[in-house]
This record gives sequence, structure tokens and C-alpha cells, in this order.
Amino acid sequence: MSKLSQYEVSAVPAVSSPAPSAAASSSMAASILSAALLLPGVQAHAEAPPANGEISVNYMNYEDRQSGLQRTTVHSPSVSILAPVAGDWALEGTVVSDDVSGASPRYHTAISGASHMHDHRDAADVAATRYFDRGTLTVGGAVSTEHDYFSRALSVKGSIDSESKNTSWSFGYGRSNDRINPVNLIVVNETKQTTNYLAGVTQILGMNDIVQLTFTRTLGEGYFNDPYKSLDNRPRERAESSLLAGWNHHLVSTDGTARMSYRYYHDSYGIRAHTLTGEYVQPLSQGWSVTPEARLYTQSAAFFYYDPVYDTQLGAPFPPGYNGAGYMSADQRLSGFGAVTLGLKVSKQLDKLWSVDVKFDAYQQRGSWRLFHGGSPGLDNLRAQTIQIGVNRAW
Amino acid sequence: MSATLAKSLRALLHMAALGAALSGCADIGNVQPWEKGTLARPEMTFGGNALQTRDDDHIYTSREAASGGAGVGGGGCGCN
Repeated sequence: MSKLSQYEVSAVPAVSSPAPSAAASSSMAASILSAALLLPGVQAHAEAPPANGEISVNYMNYEDRQSGLQRTTVHSPSVSILAPVAGDWALEGTVVSDDVSGASPRYHTAISGASHMHDHRDAADVAATRYFDRGTLTVGGAVSTEHDYFSRALSVKGSIDSESKNTSWSFGYGRSNDRINPVNLIVVNETKQTTNYLAGVTQILGMNDIVQLTFTRTLGEGYFNDPYKSLDNRPRERAESSLLAGWNHHLVSTDGTARMSYRYYHDSYGIRAHTLTGEYVQPLSQGWSVTPEARLYTQSAAFFYYDPVYDTQLGAPFPPGYNGAGYMSADQRLSGFGAVTLGLKVSKQLDKLWSVDVKFDAYQQRGSWRLFHGGSPGLDNLRAQTIQIGVNRAW
Repeated sequence: MSATLAKSLRALLHMAALGAALSGCADIGNVQPWEKGTLARPEMTFGGNALQTRDDDHIYTSREAASGGAGVGGGGCGCN
């Protein structure tokens, strides 16, 4: 059970602002931010309202392989619409439909005949943004439905610019309520509530440099088990923190842009993770653009994850000394591992209104690739590839 | 419920402290409005392609334990 479709908070200071008088003092800025955090609803703003509407259609195909077998295939078309309204407002909406088929291991990386599954997910979200002279305020809602999982979410987010508009602070609050009814009836009408908090700052460093720092805190209560995995028993509370730092740098010599980010993550399951991403956008002639990208990821195991070493009497999937009590999971996603993604995106601006893009990613996950410490032993490597095709039209 | 409230308040305090620390950056980068042409290019923003970012996040949160950092308000899923 994991998060999906998080709204982007793109707090980019406006470019067409009047000349600044004096920058806000640190203490003033801090008190503005504190007020904003305590009263989400105060007037806020960052970017200018969108001049054009845009409709985008995207198709994603995902396939992964493990233990020499094709494991999961996902087909996922999605559509998004952005519409400026009455000068100071923008409405956004997205609809996505996932079709998932294949096999999911019952424990560790063991796939059996009972592992086969087929699932369909429909999800939609809407958001309304009000633009102010020096801030934005956005209210959004999201819904996601599967035959065994239903989720609703609400969010409020905003941003406040400094007087010079070279600094923008952002804040956000979100809450989701999920209902879980697995087809194997291992539980009925289980629930999970999640609350998110966000605070961030975006800073222009120079004509070719901009940085962003964002902190998120997520508190969840309820059913976190994977109902389709054997012996899965996880704590009913999970607290997660992430600190994400991003830096975009434009190279005048090549007209290209390097985009780099680092994220530190830790949670109450004892998992610590580091994510490093880098991509380089190179515009070419006649509207073409190529973007190679790389991502490195490493995580430690949850404190209740157990390695594939089984009880001598009971055999797999029972851990040694199993007595039916205590937290435990044999979910590979909670093990210690490292992962690498290499990708390439090619896009073309066809004319003033139309653009198309194609993106290909290759992903591999291995226990031995965990950085700083040894990874979890005894698990098969996971390989995946993703292809995305997008068509965008401004209006 | 009181434990949840205490955690929420602690999270707010952490963010207020972070904001206070970050606000010290307010005087960096004295860039004038007429010097922001490059910064306005789509590749210089932190948002990116919304649909592709959403798909990428969905894949990573279905295959890895870590998530978060970019936004709030996403719904949950039974991603196996």
C-alpha cells in the first residue's frame, strides 16, 4: 500500500514582476511562514496564472522481470487538463486508468501459481488554484478506486513570495482516508488514515541557478499489511519524513540545463533511504530536445523484515522460531537494497500548440547494490522497463 | 487521538524551525525581473511533466519503501 499521484508544488518565483524595493528581513519572513503554517488559508502567491490552457494525454507501459519470469505488466493511459479561469484562477484535473496483470510474490521473491493477479485502478483528481500578487492558494481532491481498495484525499497548499520574488516559501497539508477489502477476506472493511505536512523554500541564486528545499512529514494510522503476502504483519502506525533538495543549473555554453536532486528519507519502520537523480535537458534544432537521466537509490531494511532463512521444522515461509506473534514481513520492498535507473527522453515541439515526447527507462534492483552497508541476502534481482508516450496541446 | 495530535504539533514545530532556518537565505541571489528569462524556461522549473512525474512516482512507490518530498494530498493504492 503506497502513495500515488502526489501533487507537485512548483513554487517558481514569477518572472514578470515589478522591480523590488527591499528584500524582506529574515525575521519578518520567518514570522510570515510561521503564520502561514498555522493558518493555511492566508493569502499567498508565487507564479503568474497560466496564460494558456493545456490538455495532455500520456500512455505508460511498465513491465518487470524476476527469477527469469515476466512478473508484472501495467498499461496506464492518463489525461490531464489545465484551464485558466477569470484571470486569477486555474483549474486542473487528471484521470488515470491502470490495468495491472501478472504475478506478485507471496513471500520474498518466490512466485507460485497462486501468485497470479489482475487488477484495475481508476483514479481522478482535481485542483483549483487562486493566484495573488505574491502567492498562490490551491485546494485539491483525489479519489482512487480498485476492486479491493478505495481511497479519498483532500489537500490545501500555498506559496508566498518575497518582495523581490527571488524567494518563495511553500506549505501544504493533506489528508487521505483509505478503505481496504481484500478478495481473500483476510480482513474486512479495514481502514487507513494518512496526514501529510509540507514546508519548502525555492530560491533563485542567479540568472542560471535555482534551488529548492522541501520537507514533508507523513503520519499514517491503520492497516499497512499487504493482505496478499504470507505472514505479513506490520505496525499500524507509520511516521515518514523526507527532505528533498533540488538544483537546476542552465549552461550558457550549450544552452542545456542540468537538473539534480537528492532526497533523504526515514520512517518509523527503521527504513532509511537516499535517492540521487540527475538529468540533462539539451535543446536541439527544429524543436527537438533530448534528456538523458540517471537515478541512484538505496534503502535499509525495515526492522521487522526477515531474510529468506526459514524455520527448520515449519519450512518456508515461516521465519526461524515462528510463534504467530510479533511484527514480520517478507516483502522485498521492505528489504535492504540498491537500485539504478537509466533513462532517455526525446521530445519535439511540433508547432506553437502541439508537442510530443517519448521516454524510456530501464530499472534494476539488487540487494548487493545497497550503499554504505550490505543489502538483504537471498533475493532475486528485479528488472523493469517503462515506456511513456505523451502528446500535449496548448489552447 | 492525543498521540496523533502531539505528533502533528511536533511536525508543525519541525517545519516552523526549518522555515526559520531557510528564511536566512532570503538575501541570496539579487536577480532583477528582467534577468529571469532563462529561469522561466520549463526545464528550469521544479514541476516537470505532470503526468510523467505522476507515473514515475507511482512506479517507484510500488517498488521501493521511500516516498514523499514533492507534494501532499495523494490518495493511497493497493499497489502490489
